[in-house]
Amino acid sequence: MFQQVLFSGMALGSIYGLVALGFAVIFKATEVFNFAQGMFVVCGAYLAVTAIAILDLPFPVAVLFVLVMAALIGAVIQSTLIQPLAGRPILAVIMLTIAISIVLRAGIEIAYGPPARTLTTPMPSGGFAFMGLMISKLHLTAALVSWACVILFGLFFRYTSIGLLMRATADSHEAATISGIRVNTMNRLAWGIGFTLAAIGGVFLGQLQIVSTELESIGLLALPAVVIGGMQSIPGAVLGGLLVGVIEQLAAAYISPKASDVAIYVLLLAILMVRPWGLLGQRGINRV
Amino acid sequence: MSSATTSSPTATARPGVRPGLGRIVLLILAVAALLYVPTLLTERAIFGHRLSNMQLLNLGLTQINLMLISMLGALSLNYLMGCAGLISIGHAAFYATGAMAAAVTGTQLGWPFPLVLVAAGVAGGVVGALAGLPSLRVRGLYFVLSTMAVHYMVTFGFLEYQFRVFDVVGIPFATPSLFGFELSTPTRWYFVLLALVVLTYWGLRNTLRSREGRAMLAMRDHERAAVAAGVDVRVLRIKAFGLSSAIAGVAGALYAYYLSNATAETFGINFAIQFIAMIIIGGMGSLAGAIIGAAVWLLLPSVIGGMASEIGPMPGLLGSLLTEHRAQFVQLIFGVLVIVLLIFAPGGLVGLAHRFKALFGRRSEG
Repeated sequence: MFQQVLFSGMALGSIYGLVALGFAVIFKATEVFNFAQGMFVVCGAYLAVTAIAILDLPFPVAVLFVLVMAALIGAVIQSTLIQPLAGRPILAVIMLTIAISIVLRAGIEIAYGPPARTLTTPMPSGGFAFMGLMISKLHLTAALVSWACVILFGLFFRYTSIGLLMRATADSHEAATISGIRVNTMNRLAWGIGFTLAAIGGVFLGQLQIVSTELESIGLLALPAVVIGGMQSIPGAVLGGLLVGVIEQLAAAYISPKASDVAIYVLLLAILMVRPWGLLGQRGINRV
Repeated sequence: MSSATTSSPTATARPGVRPGLGRIVLLILAVAALLYVPTLLTERAIFGHRLSNMQLLNLGLTQINLMLISMLGALSLNYLMGCAGLISIGHAAFYATGAMAAAVTGTQLGWPFPLVLVAAGVAGGVVGALAGLPSLRVRGLYFVLSTMAVHYMVTFGFLEYQFRVFDVVGIPFATPSLFGFELSTPTRWYFVLLALVVLTYWGLRNTLRSREGRAMLAMRDHERAAVAAGVDVRVLRIKAFGLSSAIAGVAGALYAYYLSNATAETFGINFAIQFIAMIIIGGMGSLAGAIIGAAVWLLLPSVIGGMASEIGPMPGLLGSLLTEHRAQFVQLIFGVLVIVLLIFAPGGLVGLAHRFKALFGRRSEG
């Protein structure tokens, strides 16, 4: 029982980690605390529905469609809405992201209708037994793909020249501007990546559950994940996502299904009180 | 100065200037209009002259009453966010606390209604002061998240309480009576709520003009300067949080009684977000802005609904927006309105009004 819960917690946690990673990329680059990340997850799921069920694209093309559209939408949101508010107080920026999620939710519900959709892809389903555990193939695929994306983006930021430019921009906008980096392009790229990572998470969550705007609340778990892991830290976001997934499943299994949210937020509050900079964050940055 | 401080609530206060005759007449007219609203909306006629639904903007007294309850929430949140500078997305939690306190004292113990309201206020204030404690340790974004954590804890408590004592349909609330005066009709509710809103507005305005209120505005504008001037910002923050939450607690109890039923789902995170949207629309840091924002947020949906039925069936996209997707369409308008205001008019509608006043050469304020 315990191992079973742990497995599903880790699998879900990997998806949360992926969404949280997208969140952290956006936060590091533009210092925007993105409350719309949950809605980005929903957008990813609906993009997949559009590609597979409505446009009837073959699966690889559909994947490409989701990735490209997600990156585009992210970049467009950054350049039209986020950029004009650069340097404004945090409440204005937070509220802007909340307003973006309100608009996205309304737009999706108008375009696709309120009833939930199911998403079916050729990805493996069913399950198999492994060392006494019942392992769902979809959960396993989700976890593996999430980890592949995390590693891929980790390598991208670490070793490619664009990754270096993005890290430099995130460190200091002024210094990057002086060095001739196109800061706005880098920020747009960060939003594109952040949206894409959320969208990939959305494709999996939409398959594990059902595609509706209610997925937003699951996507929003990326917020506590990022804070628990450490806001300035990319590995922290992934670790936070894993922790949130495991705690959610454990609380649901051993306390009550209603207790999963509150368990996560109790941990969040404890972290905020004891270690506000998060598990893997750097001390000092966060004390204002 | 940051743009969050666009219009200080004390800007309109001019001590020493005697109110002119024009102002007194305006005030009397406003009071008369407010007293006439319930008659107007129940008889749907003005001095015997019948008005069409559209001339009344498709409004009913129920919407007006819900608007008044929301005004309490928006006022208290604007006091906290706009005046004390503490961002909270946990305002629904204090509504829930108030409703829960009302359920324990009113529905379970059968206390009289005024006492229930006091209990709701005290409960809201205590939980609010506790929720404000993290402000001693964390700032900015981290504090925002701690209010979110408080929100989830309180709604979990509400859910547990609701399912232990009542069940899935929610907590019932009897028709309250105020010193033998049964609040059984919307008109009666209207006058009680109106009085409470006026009282809260007046109380908060005076608080802001007091020594502590000025210290709080100083804390919002420049914390270090305020500390240097001898303001204990830690105590002040918790006090502001307590006061704001106490008002929200009372509003929560009123809301539960008005709807005569409350469930945990009522007080979700979106419930808190709507109050933030209200004060952004109306104007951050301005008590009048809270009133205007709440009015826009609560009345616009019904006005749009009225317009849709007036115009009749329409072909194409707009037609389907106004009929089958009306709720989503209203949300879309609100979202776009908030975005546009944030980008072009950070002071909200009140800030816009000030700008127009200045533009037309009248005495500029603020």
